[in-house]
Amino acid sequence: MSEAALIGLFVATVQFGTLVFLAALGELIAERAGVLNLGVEGMMTMGAVSGFMVGLETGSPWAAFFAAAAVGSLVGGFHALVSVVLGADQVVSGLALTIGGLGLAAYVGRNVVGERPETQFTDLGIAGLADIPWIGEIFFDQPPVVYLTVLLGLAVWFVLARTRLGLAIRAVGESAPTTDTAGHSVMALRSVAVMVGGAFAGAAGSFLSLYMAPGWTEGMVAGRGWIAVALVIFGAWRPGRLALGALLFGFTLALQPRLQTFDIEVLGLDVSSISPALLGILPFVLTVVVLVIISWRHRHRPSVAPAALGLPYRREER
Amino acid sequence: MIRPVLARRERVVPATQAAGFVLGVVVALILGAILLWVSDHSPAEVYERMFDSAFKGTDSLSRTLERATPLALTGLSVAVAGSMGLWNIGAEGQMMAGAIVATGVAMIADGLSGPLLIALMMASGVVGGMALMIGPALARSHLRVSEIITTLMLVYVAIRVVEWLETGPWKDPESFGFAVIEPVPEQAALPGLFGRANIGMLIALGLLLVFWLAVSRTAWGYELRLAGSSPDTARYAGVSLRRKVLTALLLSGGIAGLAGAVQLTGSAVRLESGLSNGYGFAGIIVAALALMRPSGVAVVAFVFGAVQVGGQSIQTLGVSSAIADILQAMILFGALVAVVFFNYRIQWSGPGGESSIAESGEPDLAGEVA
Repeated sequence: MSEAALIGLFVATVQFGTLVFLAALGELIAERAGVLNLGVEGMMTMGAVSGFMVGLETGSPWAAFFAAAAVGSLVGGFHALVSVVLGADQVVSGLALTIGGLGLAAYVGRNVVGERPETQFTDLGIAGLADIPWIGEIFFDQPPVVYLTVLLGLAVWFVLARTRLGLAIRAVGESAPTTDTAGHSVMALRSVAVMVGGAFAGAAGSFLSLYMAPGWTEGMVAGRGWIAVALVIFGAWRPGRLALGALLFGFTLALQPRLQTFDIEVLGLDVSSISPALLGILPFVLTVVVLVIISWRHRHRPSVAPAALGLPYRREER
Repeated sequence: MIRPVLARRERVVPATQAAGFVLGVVVALILGAILLWVSDHSPAEVYERMFDSAFKGTDSLSRTLERATPLALTGLSVAVAGSMGLWNIGAEGQMMAGAIVATGVAMIADGLSGPLLIALMMASGVVGGMALMIGPALARSHLRVSEIITTLMLVYVAIRVVEWLETGPWKDPESFGFAVIEPVPEQAALPGLFGRANIGMLIALGLLLVFWLAVSRTAWGYELRLAGSSPDTARYAGVSLRRKVLTALLLSGGIAGLAGAVQLTGSAVRLESGLSNGYGFAGIIVAALALMRPSGVAVVAFVFGAVQVGGQSIQTLGVSSAIADILQAMILFGALVAVVFFNYRIQWSGPGGESSIAESGEPDLAGEVA
């Protein structure tokens, strides 16, 4: 395996990690407020198509990125309306959001399949640091979305752990009646959390369609929204652990298309002879295995999930 | 400040989920019409084409039934897990697993007579679906790992395995270089009923009947529902929750696997990566709309079959078939919202709350959803 290939693997690890981290961070916010949103795959896909189309139209990757965030937040707002405001089942609403979002994205993007954007994010070579061998290329010569995502991760951690707003969000995820009694609006806190989460997922989708795999094809998110949902469990609803998990999954996602080109043997088996389709199951098998291992290790401990996760709240019925 | 709040109705509107479903269809058609209209299509023309292609004449009707068959089976699959509060959202993958094992068996046993081979392939379909479910089921029953995520993840695994089989081990040597799998033996094709409808439809209907009886009329079904709605009571009554979770999920996987085998022998010619065609995911919506009841699954599957046939037909008008997916999701959202309003009404609460006191005789605080 050449040095360039290895560096390429780690560069891609950071990018795939960014992709799933950004989406999972959004889901983390919603879930900490007590709302399970299984629509991440749908919101990412809507973000991917709308970001790509705005990018084509304006030629500005930033306009595309923020438009995708706005669309993601709008789609998330739909989930908030149905499951938070009206109190319908969160699982059903979220699943419908994913199925409907995939359909709507296919419909909206039917005329831009195969087109290529003229401009996209350029890698930011951070002065002085980008020239460090290995580390520079992997960490300090990435597109701006990577650094923005790191900042967002820090911001989410800070808001949740260190501010009154964060306390209210965490409280409403543990017990809505208590938070209500304390004078906070359960509906507002949860709706805003879901919409911010949607914005993150939409933005992540556009990172995919604008930079990582420029273009739009149906189903291009390919299950990575679902990996983001699993990551929140892996990260035990904490931003820091979420980042670690994102790097692990980012590595697997980056490894899978490259494995064939690496001249390595595992248990006497030449990896390059394995079909790419079979290697494609790696991230998904890993997700299942990791979830099982975590649950096995925590089997005697109480759950760390927000206590009110998935429960709708109506004041009169408390 | 005057703001709207949801208040529980004094008298709940005596409407059922069925009315919610009908309202959902109406809402979806209206929203779909707006979407078509803003993209320069004539909603009337598109809807007319969809309706005709799904219902006009026996041939159209047979196409609707052909599509309703896998939807009824995947819907039932999701409903069996759902009747105890579990979500199998991987029916799409279990269909594939069922079709894979059925294809494998057909390759070995292609000398058997038609009925015997078909029965064997159906059984292998069930085994295949269960095999893909065994991991998620054990993880859920013994470690409380969310079955939502694990079942979904295995969808991608099953589809990738089919892609691998297509390009590698099962590639048809007589396919002139195309990456396709050999068609199933001719005698394995399900006997037709009329048009494109085949006896797969009867298999689905029979199974729906069996499960309706089992869930609503037997002690087993009662325990299943009890374990779902109040686990503590069930445990006190001596019901083994672990065993119930395992049984419900494995049955759910087996039924989805059967859907794969039915699709393989009924409509598809060969195992291919597009065989499951979204039926497993649509089955989630079917089951949710049916409130996990087998009778409801039959009705919703029929309507969704029509929507999908309609979605295919409008491609000749230059309209994307994605409209069908959008309509299906919108029907579910519409029904969800409609049912909320059967039980709640919007109440405008002011600072004094006079209106609500006058109507309900209670301070408005009690009726608010904060």
